[in-house]
Amino acid sequence: MKASWLADRIGWRQISEQLAEHRVPRRGYVFYLGGITLYLFLVQVATGILLMLYYQPDPQAAFASVQRIAGGDVPYGHLVRNVHAWSSDLFVLALLTHLFLVLVRRTFRAPHELSWISGILSLVLGVGLAFTGAVLPWSENAYADAMVGSGLARNVPLVGGWLMRFMRGGPDIGAGTLGHAFGFHVAALPAALTMLIALHLFLLSRKPAAQPEANVPSIPLYPDFLVRQGVAFTGLTVVIMTLGTFVERPLGVVADPAAPPIGARPPWYFLPFHQIIRAAPKELLGVDGARFIASAVCLLGLVALALPFIDQRGSKITAWLAWGLLLILLLLSASALT
Amino acid sequence: MPSDEESKKPPRRDFLGLAVGGTAAALAVAVVYPLERFVQPPSRPSSGPTTIGKVEDFALGTAKTVLVDEHPILVIRTADGEFRAFSALCSHLQCIVGYSPERNRIECPCHQGVYSIDGQNLSGPPPRPLDEYAVSINEGAVIVSVAG
Repeated sequence: MKASWLADRIGWRQISEQLAEHRVPRRGYVFYLGGITLYLFLVQVATGILLMLYYQPDPQAAFASVQRIAGGDVPYGHLVRNVHAWSSDLFVLALLTHLFLVLVRRTFRAPHELSWISGILSLVLGVGLAFTGAVLPWSENAYADAMVGSGLARNVPLVGGWLMRFMRGGPDIGAGTLGHAFGFHVAALPAALTMLIALHLFLLSRKPAAQPEANVPSIPLYPDFLVRQGVAFTGLTVVIMTLGTFVERPLGVVADPAAPPIGARPPWYFLPFHQIIRAAPKELLGVDGARFIASAVCLLGLVALALPFIDQRGSKITAWLAWGLLLILLLLSASALT
Repeated sequence: MPSDEESKKPPRRDFLGLAVGGTAAALAVAVVYPLERFVQPPSRPSSGPTTIGKVEDFALGTAKTVLVDEHPILVIRTADGEFRAFSALCSHLQCIVGYSPERNRIECPCHQGVYSIDGQNLSGPPPRPLDEYAVSINEGAVIVSVAG
């Protein structure tokens, strides 16, 4: 059977002609990062499905089941778990970098408002995926993440109590928490994120972001851009497999609901917030410190969502503020590690 | 030519749009409300007084964390034999606190909160004292009343 037979059946010629009509900037790093983010999401879906075959979402069995996967009982379980964990970290990093580049290039402005909003919502869901995934091993770290994450959510204005009970699957951390985290991690959040990504891609196909201007060198989407993207995927696969094989993702010790989590540390993307929470006074402007921080984070999120309407022209001040924010977050992360 | 009365009527398309929109909104409410109620866990009745062990299980000047309906409770037996029970959830972000016998105080390792053995917040971010529960002894059994 020839390749031309398949190409004929799926109408590849027409598809490739249509793809070739689209052009992207030659140095369109934002596009590459978007593709890389999507690829990392797909790697997580694939490895996540494999992990589900052995994982048991029960407080009595969860940690032991992950130990079985990672400890060698399951052939290549160690590699699958490590690849899942590394691709999760890289996914959050790629998502944040992708959004940051859009921010400093100010390509969130009209007519890309909806693309920007779908990107911000994807970040929220992506962090939700990472958070629920971090809870599943039911280790000391996982338990502390669930405690502190839901404890911080309790301070969100208006819906805090509701949100905390929802995240915990009950008034306390326990079997309900693991059940909720598992359901949302393997089904609800990936489904919602898939729909958001589909919407994001649809919007980009209707209103291509950063349509190459006359003086910006551009390349056709196919074959030039997609082939380069394929090379990036190949390189990324090598990186993930190398990390998964040689760099350990320690599981830690099993969660003990009766013991203070002395060795627990939040995931790297929560380090700035961890540092702010640790250093904040009991009260800020007459408001409970944790409530003030939770409110500020919510406000920041709302400002981010509304950014294309607040800064309609995409002013350079926004780009400078983004650089300033990045610097502050890096400094906070560094001080959290010391 | 339509009469004045006819021209005042909303066009058929507007009516259809309104009907479809209204039906969709009603359906959304009919789906979203039960969905929200479903994912919210049902409330649990208070467990009331619970026996957590015998007096001799708790040495003088030590503490133990026990679970009552998944809720961690820090039980301290002071050097003079008095029992005190506190919620082991830090009043800051609900991390689990622990008793430090070396410093004779309660500490939260997550954000370095410190409480006295009376549960009073001394330093760090905790905004309030720990919730305290009543402890009683009945025929050598230590009983904690979480509802209290």
